[in-house]
Amino acid sequence: MSQADRSIPFRQRADRAMQDVFLQEALTIATTKFIGLRREAFAGFPEGEGLRDAAREIKEATLQHLDRYLEQLVENVERLGGRVHYATTPEEARAIILDIARQAGARIAVKSKSMATEEIHLNEALEAAGITPVETDLGEYIIQLAHERPSHIIAPAIHKTKGQIADLFTKELGRTVAADPEALTKLARGELRAKFLEADLGITGANFAVADTGTVVLVTNEGNGRMVTSLPRVHVAVMGVEKVVPSLTDLMVFLAILAKSATGQKLSVYTTLVQGPRRAGELEGPEEFHLVLLDNGRIAQLAGPLREALYCLRCGACLNVCPVYRQIGGHAYGHTYPGPIGILLTAMLNGPGAVKDLAHASSLCGACADACPVRIDIPRMLIELRREVDEKRIAPWTERIVFKAFGWLLTRPALYRLAASVGRLLQRPFVRDGAIRSLPLFGDWTRTRDLPMVARRTFRERWRNLELEPRR
Amino acid sequence: MTTRAEFIARIRAEMGKTRGLPPAAPARRPERPRAAAEAIRRELAERWPEALERFRRELEQVGGVFYRVPTLAEAAPVVAGIARDRGARRLVGWHAAEIGGDLVPALAALGLEAVSMPPGEVASAAERRRLRELVAAAELGLTGADLAIAETGTLVLRTGPGRPRSTSLLPSYHIALFDRTALVESLAQAGVVLESWHADGQSRRDGAVISFITGPSRTADIELTLTRGVHGPKEVHAIFVEAPAGG
Repeated sequence: MSQADRSIPFRQRADRAMQDVFLQEALTIATTKFIGLRREAFAGFPEGEGLRDAAREIKEATLQHLDRYLEQLVENVERLGGRVHYATTPEEARAIILDIARQAGARIAVKSKSMATEEIHLNEALEAAGITPVETDLGEYIIQLAHERPSHIIAPAIHKTKGQIADLFTKELGRTVAADPEALTKLARGELRAKFLEADLGITGANFAVADTGTVVLVTNEGNGRMVTSLPRVHVAVMGVEKVVPSLTDLMVFLAILAKSATGQKLSVYTTLVQGPRRAGELEGPEEFHLVLLDNGRIAQLAGPLREALYCLRCGACLNVCPVYRQIGGHAYGHTYPGPIGILLTAMLNGPGAVKDLAHASSLCGACADACPVRIDIPRMLIELRREVDEKRIAPWTERIVFKAFGWLLTRPALYRLAASVGRLLQRPFVRDGAIRSLPLFGDWTRTRDLPMVARRTFRERWRNLELEPRR
Repeated sequence: MTTRAEFIARIRAEMGKTRGLPPAAPARRPERPRAAAEAIRRELAERWPEALERFRRELEQVGGVFYRVPTLAEAAPVVAGIARDRGARRLVGWHAAEIGGDLVPALAALGLEAVSMPPGEVASAAERRRLRELVAAAELGLTGADLAIAETGTLVLRTGPGRPRSTSLLPSYHIALFDRTALVESLAQAGVVLESWHADGQSRRDGAVISFITGPSRTADIELTLTRGVHGPKEVHAIFVEAPAGG
């Protein structure tokens, strides 16, 4: 499976992913590699732990005065000759960008990798308006040619083999090329170089925006972020409101941990600080600079249960360590943002109804919280989401009844003891090798999990016997 | 369309509903950034050899190549050597004033087709197009560097008059000249210098972009195989000039 098809249920999407032998191998190789690189990067960086705490505090401090920092950012961008736009919904963001594109007379728009523009489904809107969007991050370019969506926040095409990519290039670009990463990259460089020089419009996201200076910051390894912000006549940056940071000093704290968390690099190859359009005296640079501030569910979480998810830097570290992501990959989640943080962001963007299944796509093991550079407590929020999904009756009635019954039982010790004894009798036909491998009515649950059997003597029974023994 | 006032008002309304938030403050900024940056430079006046050594190590770690020459004039044969080894001839460079001296005659004498970028903006659209085509066709791009960060092997380049963005971006081989006044030890120190540049603000004729460059352009998007030069330069060469420009 290669596409986010939400017409089929999550469980089937996950099943298909788990039966896809190639995807399984690719996921294991990629996530294991990223985990190792991240670990090495922090092992040689003793100040890292302190910087993670500092980064977390900066995020919280920024949210506590978000109005002030955004106003400061807006004033500085405008002072430098940029224009700022405000988008409450994806529709509004698309309309703003299409309007800018039309006024620029754009036929081709080059894009550097941006989750925010994925989130608002900008490419479809551009195409419908007769403007060709060209993704220029190599991974994004590949999946755009394949009409797919990214499967990993920072490695969008990890689900494809070089052979598949060579076939794709042959079919879409009409050029035969060896199934060799070097040759494939060279071909893409040539194709995209022509687009960079031809495009009228450059569209980017923003990894950060510095309020004090009006600077939009882009972090890339390929250099496409620099191309997109240097060569076209118009530059549009789309950013979620939570990406603002107070000062350049704060920015450096994040830069010191972002790449280490994402790819294990000390710093990504290119960090590009863009302060408005081309200045007087500059040979190059866009004549127009637009900043689109995007809400899309974020603002409501300032006082909401998902507030902490607004700290997210989009590094992808939580995906790599997640035992669920490592099994099913990004597409099975079915939304723009995969992985543990993706479940929270999907709930933020689309409401809790969108994650009634996904809220359970976590073992709550806590690996994500450990890997997160800003220590977002993802498991806590997943549990709260599960509760919300239950309380708002979004969860299926069977699930709600089972949990209600179980909760009721747990608060009644005598009945619980009785249930344990009854369970011990009833489980007999189902126990194999010390565990319940399948259970009628609970087939979906036991299909992929074993249920521990009720012990011959439960802890409570042993405790009671201990209490009856004479004290030594 | 949502207006700024509506947008900010909604943020304020939501902020007003929050309860029991932990105390939090942003990072401590230097109170007098220019003085703080000066202090860093003074400290490094003695420690720079260690910083340079660390820069070299980190640059090589990310696939960059390091050279050291006594004077700017002696950088020319190094540049010509890089070109010769790669069968490259066409070079574009920052304006001489931004590099600290004019290397074009020496490079031309060594067989390169070297062209300096104009010292400021160019009014004629046709001329701008010609320059862009020149840069796009060049194999080598020669620039200065405003900072060299030892901790990460990073070169920091400010754009501005005579320092176009494309010189370090479009050619396959980027060659940057720097001296010890550019050296800082850490990202945190680089942050202080960035704050001081910002404090200088209007008094300078800066461009709109500051680029941090940490080695050659790279991708691992195809089966996680490291490939260099996907969009930006596939090689980065940093030449340390012992005699500081103008000093």
